[in-house]
Amino acid sequence: MNSVVEFKNVSKDFVTSRGKYGLLIEAISNFFSKTSKNKNKIHALKNVSFSLKPGEAIGIIGKNGAGKSTILKLISKIIYPNSGEIIVNGKIGAFIELGAGLHPELSGRENIYLYGAILGMKKGEIEKKFNEIVEFAELKKFLEIPIKKYSSGMYSRLGFSVCSFCNPDILLVDEVLAVGDIQFQKKCLDKMHSFAKEKTVVFVSHNLDAVAKICKKVMLIENGKIVKFGNAIDVIRTYVRNSKTI
Amino acid sequence: MLKNFVELWEYRELLLALTMREIKVRYKQTFFGAAWAILQPAALTIIFTVIFSIFLKVPSENTPYPVFAYSALLPWTFFTTAVSFGALSVVNNGSLVTRVYFPREVLPLATVGAAIFDFFMASIVFIILALIFQIHFSVNLLFVLLILPAVIMFATGISLLLSCLNVLFRDVRFIVPLLLQIWLYVTPVIYSLSQIPDKFRFLIFLNPMAPLVQGFRESTALGKAPNLSYLFFALGFSLFTLILSYWFFKTREKIFADII
Repeated sequence: MNSVVEFKNVSKDFVTSRGKYGLLIEAISNFFSKTSKNKNKIHALKNVSFSLKPGEAIGIIGKNGAGKSTILKLISKIIYPNSGEIIVNGKIGAFIELGAGLHPELSGRENIYLYGAILGMKKGEIEKKFNEIVEFAELKKFLEIPIKKYSSGMYSRLGFSVCSFCNPDILLVDEVLAVGDIQFQKKCLDKMHSFAKEKTVVFVSHNLDAVAKICKKVMLIENGKIVKFGNAIDVIRTYVRNSKTI
Repeated sequence: MLKNFVELWEYRELLLALTMREIKVRYKQTFFGAAWAILQPAALTIIFTVIFSIFLKVPSENTPYPVFAYSALLPWTFFTTAVSFGALSVVNNGSLVTRVYFPREVLPLATVGAAIFDFFMASIVFIILALIFQIHFSVNLLFVLLILPAVIMFATGISLLLSCLNVLFRDVRFIVPLLLQIWLYVTPVIYSLSQIPDKFRFLIFLNPMAPLVQGFRESTALGKAPNLSYLFFALGFSLFTLILSYWFFKTREKIFADII
Protein backbone atom coordinates (compact mmCIF):
# COMPACT_ATOMS: atom_id res chain seq x y z
CA MET A 1 0.00 0.00 0.00
CA ASN A 2 0.90 3.65 -0.47
CA SER A 3 3.44 2.85 -3.11
CA VAL A 4 4.78 5.66 -5.25
CA VAL A 5 5.62 3.45 -8.18
CA GLU A 6 4.08 0.08 -8.85
CA PHE A 7 4.81 -2.33 -11.71
CA LYS A 8 2.40 -5.24 -12.20
CA ASN A 9 3.59 -7.91 -14.64
CA VAL A 10 5.03 -5.33 -16.98
CA SER A 11 6.44 -6.47 -20.31
CA LYS A 12 7.97 -4.29 -22.97
CA ASP A 13 8.99 -5.30 -26.49
CA PHE A 14 10.88 -3.30 -29.03
CA VAL A 15 10.35 -3.90 -32.69
CA THR A 16 13.46 -3.84 -34.80
CA SER A 17 12.29 -3.12 -38.28
CA ARG A 18 14.06 -4.54 -41.27
CA GLY A 19 14.31 -1.17 -42.94
CA LYS A 20 16.12 1.81 -41.55
CA TYR A 21 12.97 3.42 -40.21
CA GLY A 22 9.35 2.40 -40.05
CA LEU A 23 8.90 1.76 -43.71
CA LEU A 24 5.59 1.98 -45.46
CA ILE A 25 6.03 -1.41 -47.11
CA GLU A 26 6.49 -3.05 -43.76
CA ALA A 27 3.35 -1.48 -42.36
CA ILE A 28 1.38 -2.70 -45.33
CA SER A 29 2.78 -6.22 -45.17
CA ASN A 30 2.05 -6.35 -41.45
CA PHE A 31 -1.46 -5.22 -42.16
CA PHE A 32 -2.08 -8.12 -44.52
CA SER A 33 -0.29 -10.93 -42.72
CA LYS A 34 -0.57 -11.11 -38.99
CA THR A 35 2.04 -13.85 -38.67
CA SER A 36 5.01 -11.69 -39.60
CA LYS A 37 4.36 -9.39 -36.67
CA ASN A 38 6.32 -11.35 -34.09
CA LYS A 39 9.45 -11.72 -36.14
CA ASN A 40 11.61 -8.77 -35.23
CA LYS A 41 11.02 -8.30 -31.55
CA ILE A 42 13.35 -7.75 -28.65
CA HIS A 43 11.91 -8.49 -25.24
CA ALA A 44 13.33 -5.67 -23.15
CA LEU A 45 11.32 -6.49 -20.03
CA LYS A 46 9.49 -9.69 -19.17
CA ASN A 47 6.81 -9.80 -16.49
CA VAL A 48 8.45 -7.35 -14.14
CA SER A 49 6.66 -6.55 -10.88
CA PHE A 50 7.83 -4.40 -7.98
CA SER A 51 6.74 -1.44 -5.93
CA LEU A 52 8.53 1.55 -4.42
CA LYS A 53 7.53 3.45 -1.31
CA PRO A 54 8.16 7.08 -0.43
CA GLY A 55 11.47 7.66 1.32
CA GLU A 56 13.15 4.84 -0.53
CA ALA A 57 16.24 5.10 -2.68
CA ILE A 58 16.45 2.27 -5.13
CA GLY A 59 19.46 1.38 -7.20
CA ILE A 60 19.13 -0.52 -10.45
CA ILE A 61 22.19 -2.38 -11.62
CA GLY A 62 22.89 -4.83 -14.40
CA LYS A 63 24.74 -5.26 -17.64
CA ASN A 64 24.32 -2.99 -20.65
CA GLY A 65 21.05 -3.72 -22.40
CA ALA A 66 19.58 -5.55 -19.42
CA GLY A 67 16.56 -3.22 -19.30
CA LYS A 68 17.56 -0.68 -16.66
CA SER A 69 16.85 2.42 -18.69
CA THR A 70 13.68 0.84 -20.05
CA ILE A 71 12.32 0.75 -16.50
CA LEU A 72 13.10 4.45 -15.99
CA LYS A 73 11.48 5.35 -19.29
CA LEU A 74 8.39 3.37 -18.39
CA ILE A 75 8.13 5.10 -15.02
CA SER A 76 8.36 8.51 -16.63
CA LYS A 77 5.74 7.64 -19.31
CA ILE A 78 8.15 8.22 -22.18
CA ILE A 79 7.33 4.75 -23.42
CA TYR A 80 4.39 2.51 -22.59
CA PRO A 81 4.30 -1.22 -21.75
CA ASN A 82 2.98 -3.86 -24.14
CA SER A 83 1.28 -5.63 -21.27
CA GLY A 84 0.90 -5.19 -17.54
CA GLU A 85 0.13 -2.13 -15.51
CA ILE A 86 2.17 0.76 -14.17
CA ILE A 87 0.90 3.02 -11.43
CA VAL A 88 2.80 6.20 -10.61
CA ASN A 89 1.72 8.60 -7.88
CA GLY A 90 3.59 11.85 -7.85
CA LYS A 91 5.57 14.26 -9.93
CA ILE A 92 8.54 12.84 -11.76
CA GLY A 93 11.89 14.48 -12.29
CA ALA A 94 13.77 12.42 -14.82
CA PHE A 95 17.40 13.01 -15.58
CA ILE A 96 17.77 10.22 -18.07
CA GLU A 97 20.23 11.20 -20.72
CA LEU A 98 22.81 13.86 -21.05
CA GLY A 99 21.64 17.00 -22.73
CA ALA A 100 18.02 15.98 -23.20
CA GLY A 101 15.90 19.08 -23.43
CA LEU A 102 18.84 21.43 -23.68
CA HIS A 103 19.22 23.37 -26.89
CA PRO A 104 22.79 24.02 -28.08
CA GLU A 105 22.07 27.41 -29.67
CA LEU A 106 20.48 28.91 -26.57
CA SER A 107 22.34 30.43 -23.64
CA GLY A 108 22.65 28.81 -20.24
CA ARG A 109 20.04 31.17 -18.84
CA GLU A 110 17.55 30.45 -21.64
CA ASN A 111 18.16 26.74 -21.25
CA ILE A 112 17.42 26.80 -17.54
CA TYR A 113 14.01 28.30 -18.30
CA LEU A 114 13.41 25.95 -21.21
CA TYR A 115 14.45 22.83 -19.37
CA GLY A 116 12.45 23.89 -16.33
CA ALA A 117 9.37 24.26 -18.52
CA ILE A 118 10.02 20.85 -20.07
CA LEU A 119 10.08 19.38 -16.58
CA GLY A 120 6.74 21.01 -15.89
CA MET A 121 7.87 23.98 -13.78
CA LYS A 122 6.03 27.28 -13.92
CA LYS A 123 7.98 30.36 -14.89
CA GLY A 124 7.56 31.97 -11.47
CA GLU A 125 8.84 28.82 -9.85
CA ILE A 126 11.99 28.83 -11.96
CA GLU A 127 12.57 32.52 -11.29
CA LYS A 128 12.41 31.87 -7.57
CA LYS A 129 14.91 29.06 -7.71
CA PHE A 130 17.05 30.49 -10.48
CA ASN A 131 19.90 31.65 -8.25
CA GLU A 132 19.98 28.37 -6.36
CA ILE A 133 20.12 26.42 -9.61
CA VAL A 134 22.95 28.53 -11.00
CA GLU A 135 24.86 28.34 -7.76
CA PHE A 136 24.51 24.58 -7.52
CA ALA A 137 25.60 24.14 -11.14
CA GLU A 138 28.50 26.58 -10.63
CA LEU A 139 27.81 28.13 -14.00
CA LYS A 140 27.41 31.77 -13.06
CA LYS A 141 30.21 32.89 -15.38
CA PHE A 142 28.81 31.05 -18.38
CA LEU A 143 25.14 31.99 -18.12
CA GLU A 144 25.00 34.18 -21.21
CA ILE A 145 26.89 32.06 -23.72
CA PRO A 146 25.24 29.41 -25.93
CA ILE A 147 25.66 26.03 -24.35
CA LYS A 148 27.11 24.51 -27.50
CA LYS A 149 30.29 26.04 -26.14
CA TYR A 150 29.91 24.14 -22.87
CA SER A 151 31.91 21.06 -21.97
CA SER A 152 30.03 17.82 -21.39
CA GLY A 153 30.57 18.18 -17.65
CA MET A 154 28.95 21.61 -17.73
CA TYR A 155 26.04 20.16 -19.67
CA SER A 156 25.42 17.55 -17.06
CA ARG A 157 25.78 20.06 -14.22
CA LEU A 158 23.18 22.31 -15.79
CA GLY A 159 20.81 19.41 -16.43
CA PHE A 160 21.09 17.83 -13.02
CA SER A 161 20.73 21.14 -11.22
CA VAL A 162 17.49 22.12 -12.93
CA CYS A 163 16.18 18.61 -12.50
CA SER A 164 16.88 18.40 -8.79
CA PHE A 165 15.36 21.82 -8.12
CA CYS A 166 12.11 21.07 -9.95
CA ASN A 167 10.92 19.52 -6.71
CA PRO A 168 9.79 16.11 -7.92
CA ASP A 169 8.31 13.37 -5.78
CA ILE A 170 10.28 10.80 -7.69
CA LEU A 171 13.76 11.54 -8.96
CA LEU A 172 15.03 9.28 -11.73
CA VAL A 173 18.74 9.45 -12.42
CA ASP A 174 20.39 7.43 -15.16
CA GLU A 175 24.16 7.01 -15.52
CA VAL A 176 24.76 10.62 -16.40
CA LEU A 177 26.85 11.91 -13.59
CA ALA A 178 29.88 10.04 -14.83
CA VAL A 179 30.99 13.02 -16.90
CA GLY A 180 31.04 15.49 -14.00
CA ASP A 181 34.22 15.94 -11.99
CA ILE A 182 34.63 14.18 -8.66
CA GLN A 183 33.69 17.21 -6.65
CA PHE A 184 30.44 17.71 -8.54
CA GLN A 185 29.64 13.99 -8.48
CA LYS A 186 29.94 14.09 -4.72
CA LYS A 187 27.67 17.12 -4.61
CA CYS A 188 25.04 15.33 -6.68
CA LEU A 189 25.25 12.21 -4.59
CA ASP A 190 24.80 14.28 -1.43
CA LYS A 191 21.83 15.99 -3.00
CA MET A 192 20.28 12.65 -3.92
CA HIS A 193 21.02 11.35 -0.46
CA SER A 194 19.20 14.16 1.30
CA PHE A 195 16.44 13.96 -1.27
CA ALA A 196 15.89 10.28 -0.58
CA LYS A 197 15.00 10.98 3.05
CA GLU A 198 11.40 11.86 2.25
CA LYS A 199 11.00 11.34 -1.48
CA THR A 200 11.82 8.51 -3.84
CA VAL A 201 15.00 8.16 -5.83
CA VAL A 202 15.63 5.63 -8.57
CA PHE A 203 19.30 5.53 -9.46
CA VAL A 204 20.68 3.59 -12.41
CA SER A 205 24.43 3.32 -12.39
CA HIS A 206 27.47 1.18 -13.03
CA ASN A 207 29.22 2.97 -10.22
CA LEU A 208 28.56 0.35 -7.55
CA ASP A 209 30.18 2.38 -4.78
CA ALA A 210 27.82 5.26 -5.42
CA VAL A 211 24.85 2.91 -5.54
CA ALA A 212 25.83 1.30 -2.27
CA LYS A 213 26.24 4.70 -0.67
CA ILE A 214 22.84 6.10 -1.61
CA CYS A 215 20.55 3.13 -1.94
CA LYS A 216 19.40 0.82 0.81
CA LYS A 217 17.73 -1.46 -1.71
CA VAL A 218 19.07 -2.52 -5.06
CA MET A 219 17.49 -4.29 -7.99
CA LEU A 220 19.58 -6.51 -10.22
CA ILE A 221 18.28 -6.86 -13.79
CA GLU A 222 19.38 -9.48 -16.26
CA ASN A 223 17.88 -9.98 -19.70
CA GLY A 224 14.74 -8.07 -18.82
CA LYS A 225 14.03 -9.89 -15.56
CA ILE A 226 14.55 -9.00 -11.94
CA VAL A 227 17.12 -11.47 -10.67
CA LYS A 228 17.38 -10.11 -7.19
CA PHE A 229 15.81 -7.23 -5.29
CA GLY A 230 16.72 -6.46 -1.72
CA ASN A 231 19.50 -5.35 0.58
CA ALA A 232 22.02 -3.27 -1.34
CA ILE A 233 25.19 -5.01 -0.22
CA ASP A 234 23.79 -8.51 -0.92
CA VAL A 235 22.57 -7.68 -4.39
CA ILE A 236 25.76 -5.90 -5.38
CA ARG A 237 27.75 -8.89 -4.14
CA THR A 238 25.61 -11.23 -6.26
CA TYR A 239 26.12 -9.01 -9.27
CA VAL A 240 29.87 -8.89 -8.85
CA ARG A 241 30.01 -12.70 -8.36
CA ASN A 242 27.81 -13.31 -11.44
CA SER A 243 29.98 -11.06 -13.56
CA LYS A 244 33.10 -12.91 -12.58
CA THR A 245 31.84 -16.40 -13.37
CA ILE A 246 30.96 -15.49 -16.94
CA MET B 1 -10.37 13.95 -25.01
CA LEU B 2 -11.17 16.29 -22.13
CA LYS B 3 -8.32 14.80 -20.12
CA ASN B 4 -5.97 15.64 -22.98
CA PHE B 5 -7.07 19.27 -22.98
CA VAL B 6 -6.59 19.57 -19.24
CA GLU B 7 -3.09 18.17 -19.56
CA LEU B 8 -2.28 20.45 -22.49
CA TRP B 9 -3.43 23.39 -20.40
CA GLU B 10 -1.10 22.32 -17.59
CA TYR B 11 1.75 22.35 -20.07
CA ARG B 12 0.91 25.78 -21.50
CA GLU B 13 4.13 27.26 -20.13
CA LEU B 14 6.11 24.61 -21.96
CA LEU B 15 4.22 25.46 -25.14
CA LEU B 16 5.15 29.09 -24.68
CA ALA B 17 8.78 28.24 -23.91
CA LEU B 18 9.09 25.98 -26.95
CA THR B 19 7.46 28.58 -29.18
CA MET B 20 9.97 31.15 -27.96
CA ARG B 21 12.77 28.67 -28.54
CA GLU B 22 11.51 28.02 -32.06
CA ILE B 23 11.53 31.73 -32.85
CA LYS B 24 14.88 32.42 -31.20
CA VAL B 25 16.70 29.45 -32.67
CA ARG B 26 15.38 29.97 -36.17
CA TYR B 27 16.95 33.40 -36.47
CA LYS B 28 19.96 32.99 -34.22
CA GLN B 29 23.27 33.69 -35.94
CA THR B 30 21.50 35.12 -38.97
CA PHE B 31 22.45 38.70 -39.81
CA PHE B 32 18.94 39.88 -40.67
CA GLY B 33 17.26 37.99 -37.85
CA ALA B 34 13.48 37.99 -37.88
CA ALA B 35 13.51 40.04 -41.10
CA TRP B 36 13.80 36.69 -42.88
CA ALA B 37 10.16 36.11 -41.96
CA ILE B 38 9.15 38.70 -44.57
CA LEU B 39 11.58 37.57 -47.23
CA GLN B 40 9.52 34.72 -48.60
CA PRO B 41 6.22 36.54 -49.14
CA ALA B 42 8.06 39.65 -50.34
CA ALA B 43 10.20 37.76 -52.85
CA LEU B 44 7.25 35.76 -54.15
CA THR B 45 5.23 38.95 -54.53
CA ILE B 46 7.93 40.46 -56.74
CA ILE B 47 8.23 37.29 -58.85
CA PHE B 48 4.47 36.89 -59.20
CA THR B 49 4.06 40.55 -60.13
CA VAL B 50 6.67 40.35 -62.87
CA ILE B 51 5.48 37.06 -64.34
CA PHE B 52 1.75 37.03 -63.78
CA SER B 53 0.90 40.71 -63.93
CA ILE B 54 3.45 42.23 -66.31
CA PHE B 55 4.08 39.22 -68.58
CA LEU B 56 0.85 37.24 -68.45
CA LYS B 57 -1.54 40.06 -67.49
CA VAL B 58 -3.55 38.13 -64.94
CA PRO B 59 -6.45 40.37 -63.82
CA SER B 60 -6.30 41.41 -60.19
CA GLU B 61 -9.80 42.69 -59.38
CA ASN B 62 -8.93 46.38 -59.88
CA THR B 63 -6.22 46.32 -57.23
CA PRO B 64 -2.50 46.83 -57.85
CA TYR B 65 -1.17 43.32 -58.43
CA PRO B 66 1.53 43.47 -55.71
CA VAL B 67 -1.17 44.16 -53.10
CA PHE B 68 -3.39 41.54 -54.69
CA ALA B 69 -0.63 38.92 -54.46
CA TYR B 70 0.74 39.90 -51.07
CA SER B 71 -2.67 39.85 -49.40
CA ALA B 72 -3.02 36.21 -50.42
CA LEU B 73 0.61 35.28 -49.75
CA LEU B 74 0.29 36.50 -46.19
CA PRO B 75 -2.09 33.75 -45.00
CA TRP B 76 -0.58 31.30 -47.50
CA THR B 77 2.99 31.75 -46.22
CA PHE B 78 1.74 31.31 -42.69
CA PHE B 79 0.15 28.03 -43.73
CA THR B 80 3.22 26.68 -45.54
CA THR B 81 5.62 27.73 -42.76
CA ALA B 82 3.45 26.15 -40.10
CA VAL B 83 2.95 22.93 -42.05
CA SER B 84 6.52 22.46 -43.33
CA PHE B 85 8.11 23.06 -39.91
CA GLY B 86 5.23 21.38 -38.11
CA ALA B 87 5.50 18.16 -40.12
CA LEU B 88 9.12 17.73 -38.99
CA SER B 89 8.61 18.94 -35.43
CA VAL B 90 8.24 15.61 -33.64
CA VAL B 91 11.07 13.85 -35.46
CA ASN B 92 13.39 16.85 -35.18
CA ASN B 93 12.84 16.87 -31.43
CA GLY B 94 13.44 13.15 -31.20
CA SER B 95 15.96 13.59 -28.39
CA LEU B 96 13.27 15.24 -26.30
CA VAL B 97 10.62 12.70 -27.16
CA THR B 98 12.79 9.76 -26.15
CA ARG B 99 13.97 11.31 -22.89
CA VAL B 100 11.32 13.54 -21.37
CA TYR B 101 7.61 13.13 -20.87
CA PHE B 102 5.22 15.87 -21.98
CA PRO B 103 2.14 15.89 -24.22
CA ARG B 104 3.69 15.46 -27.65
CA GLU B 105 1.29 17.78 -29.46
CA VAL B 106 3.16 20.65 -27.83
CA LEU B 107 5.86 20.23 -30.50
CA PRO B 108 3.75 20.86 -33.64
CA LEU B 109 1.75 23.49 -31.72
CA ALA B 110 4.96 25.37 -30.96
CA THR B 111 5.91 25.49 -34.64
CA VAL B 112 2.48 26.85 -35.46
CA GLY B 113 3.02 29.43 -32.72
CA ALA B 114 6.31 30.49 -34.28
CA ALA B 115 4.60 30.74 -37.67
CA ILE B 116 2.02 33.07 -36.12
CA PHE B 117 4.91 35.30 -35.02
CA ASP B 118 6.25 35.27 -38.60
CA PHE B 119 2.78 36.15 -39.85
CA PHE B 120 2.67 39.29 -37.73
CA MET B 121 6.16 40.27 -38.87
CA ALA B 122 5.05 39.87 -42.48
CA SER B 123 1.86 41.84 -41.78
CA ILE B 124 3.96 44.94 -41.16
CA VAL B 125 5.09 44.82 -44.78
CA PHE B 126 1.48 44.51 -45.88
CA ILE B 127 0.60 47.69 -44.03
CA ILE B 128 3.51 49.49 -45.66
CA LEU B 129 2.44 48.16 -49.05
CA ALA B 130 -1.14 49.30 -48.41
CA LEU B 131 0.13 52.79 -47.59
CA ILE B 132 2.24 52.98 -50.74
CA PHE B 133 -0.61 51.86 -53.01
CA GLN B 134 -3.18 53.85 -51.01
CA ILE B 135 -5.44 50.96 -50.15
CA HIS B 136 -8.35 52.00 -47.97
CA PHE B 137 -9.31 49.38 -45.44
CA SER B 138 -13.02 49.08 -44.81
CA VAL B 139 -15.00 47.70 -41.91
CA ASN B 140 -14.87 44.35 -43.68
CA LEU B 141 -11.34 44.06 -42.33
CA LEU B 142 -13.02 42.62 -39.24
CA PHE B 143 -13.67 39.40 -41.16
CA VAL B 144 -9.98 38.69 -40.61
CA LEU B 145 -10.93 37.86 -37.02
CA LEU B 146 -12.96 34.98 -38.41
CA ILE B 147 -10.56 33.94 -41.18
CA LEU B 148 -7.37 33.86 -39.12
CA PRO B 149 -8.64 31.41 -36.49
CA ALA B 150 -9.83 29.16 -39.31
CA VAL B 151 -6.41 29.25 -41.03
CA ILE B 152 -4.67 28.59 -37.71
CA MET B 153 -6.98 25.68 -36.91
CA PHE B 154 -6.49 24.17 -40.35
CA ALA B 155 -2.69 24.61 -40.28
CA THR B 156 -2.57 23.09 -36.79
CA GLY B 157 -4.68 20.14 -37.91
CA ILE B 158 -2.49 19.42 -40.95
CA SER B 159 0.68 19.86 -38.84
CA LEU B 160 -0.55 17.39 -36.21
CA LEU B 161 -1.46 14.87 -38.88
CA LEU B 162 1.78 15.16 -40.85
CA SER B 163 4.08 15.29 -37.81
CA CYS B 164 2.54 12.04 -36.59
CA LEU B 165 2.75 10.40 -40.02
CA ASN B 166 6.36 11.54 -40.35
CA VAL B 167 7.26 9.58 -37.22
CA LEU B 168 5.69 6.45 -38.69
CA PHE B 169 6.91 6.95 -42.27
CA ARG B 170 9.86 9.23 -42.92
CA ASP B 171 8.69 9.49 -46.52
CA VAL B 172 6.46 12.34 -45.38
CA ARG B 173 9.45 14.66 -45.24
CA PHE B 174 9.86 14.38 -49.00
CA ILE B 175 6.18 14.60 -49.79
CA VAL B 176 5.46 17.81 -47.87
CA PRO B 177 7.39 20.29 -50.10
CA LEU B 178 5.84 18.80 -53.24
CA LEU B 179 2.40 18.77 -51.67
CA LEU B 180 2.68 22.44 -50.69
CA GLN B 181 3.86 23.39 -54.16
CA ILE B 182 0.86 21.76 -55.79
CA TRP B 183 -1.39 23.21 -53.12
CA LEU B 184 -0.22 26.73 -54.02
CA TYR B 185 -1.53 26.32 -57.55
CA VAL B 186 -4.94 25.00 -56.52
CA THR B 187 -5.39 27.92 -54.13
CA PRO B 188 -6.28 31.38 -55.47
CA VAL B 189 -2.99 33.07 -54.59
CA ILE B 190 -1.70 33.96 -58.06
CA TYR B 191 -5.18 34.33 -59.54
CA SER B 192 -8.59 35.23 -58.19
CA LEU B 193 -11.29 32.78 -57.23
CA SER B 194 -13.62 34.47 -59.72
CA GLN B 195 -11.39 33.35 -62.59
CA ILE B 196 -12.14 29.70 -61.96
CA PRO B 197 -14.83 28.57 -64.45
CA ASP B 198 -18.16 27.84 -62.78
CA LYS B 199 -18.08 24.14 -63.54
CA PHE B 200 -14.82 23.78 -61.57
CA ARG B 201 -15.93 26.02 -58.72
CA PHE B 202 -17.10 23.02 -56.66
CA LEU B 203 -13.43 22.03 -56.30
CA ILE B 204 -12.91 24.67 -53.64
CA PHE B 205 -14.99 22.54 -51.33
CA LEU B 206 -12.07 20.10 -51.31
CA ASN B 207 -9.63 22.80 -50.30
CA PRO B 208 -10.60 25.09 -47.42
CA MET B 209 -7.47 27.17 -48.06
CA ALA B 210 -9.13 28.47 -51.25
CA PRO B 211 -12.03 30.31 -49.60
CA LEU B 212 -9.79 31.33 -46.68
CA VAL B 213 -7.09 32.89 -48.84
CA GLN B 214 -9.67 34.50 -51.11
CA GLY B 215 -11.62 35.74 -48.09
CA PHE B 216 -8.49 37.20 -46.52
CA ARG B 217 -7.70 39.05 -49.73
CA GLU B 218 -11.25 40.35 -50.11
CA SER B 219 -11.59 41.61 -46.56
CA THR B 220 -8.16 43.29 -46.55
CA ALA B 221 -6.97 44.46 -49.97
CA LEU B 222 -10.33 44.59 -51.74
CA GLY B 223 -12.28 45.97 -48.78
CA LYS B 224 -15.33 43.84 -49.45
CA ALA B 225 -17.15 41.16 -47.55
CA PRO B 226 -16.14 37.58 -48.36
CA ASN B 227 -18.64 34.97 -49.46
CA LEU B 228 -20.12 33.98 -46.11
CA SER B 229 -21.30 30.50 -47.04
CA TYR B 230 -17.80 29.66 -48.34
CA LEU B 231 -16.28 31.13 -45.20
CA PHE B 232 -18.43 29.17 -42.79
CA PHE B 233 -17.84 26.04 -44.80
CA ALA B 234 -14.08 26.60 -44.44
CA LEU B 235 -14.43 27.25 -40.72
CA GLY B 236 -16.31 23.99 -40.25
CA PHE B 237 -13.87 22.08 -42.43
CA SER B 238 -10.90 23.48 -40.46
CA LEU B 239 -12.42 22.62 -37.11
CA PHE B 240 -13.25 19.13 -38.32
CA THR B 241 -9.68 18.64 -39.62
CA LEU B 242 -8.25 19.84 -36.33
CA ILE B 243 -10.38 17.52 -34.20
CA LEU B 244 -9.79 14.51 -36.42
CA SER B 245 -6.01 15.10 -36.61
CA TYR B 246 -5.77 15.67 -32.90
CA TRP B 247 -7.53 12.38 -32.24
CA PHE B 248 -5.27 10.64 -34.77
CA PHE B 249 -2.18 12.14 -33.13
CA LYS B 250 -3.18 11.32 -29.55
CA THR B 251 -4.04 7.72 -30.32
CA ARG B 252 -0.58 7.17 -31.77
CA GLU B 253 1.70 9.31 -29.63
CA LYS B 254 2.39 6.52 -27.13
CA ILE B 255 4.55 4.68 -29.62
CA PHE B 256 6.50 7.75 -30.79
CA ALA B 257 9.43 7.16 -28.45
CA ASP B 258 9.63 3.52 -29.57
CA ILE B 259 10.19 4.27 -33.23
CA ILE B 260 11.90 7.65 -33.41
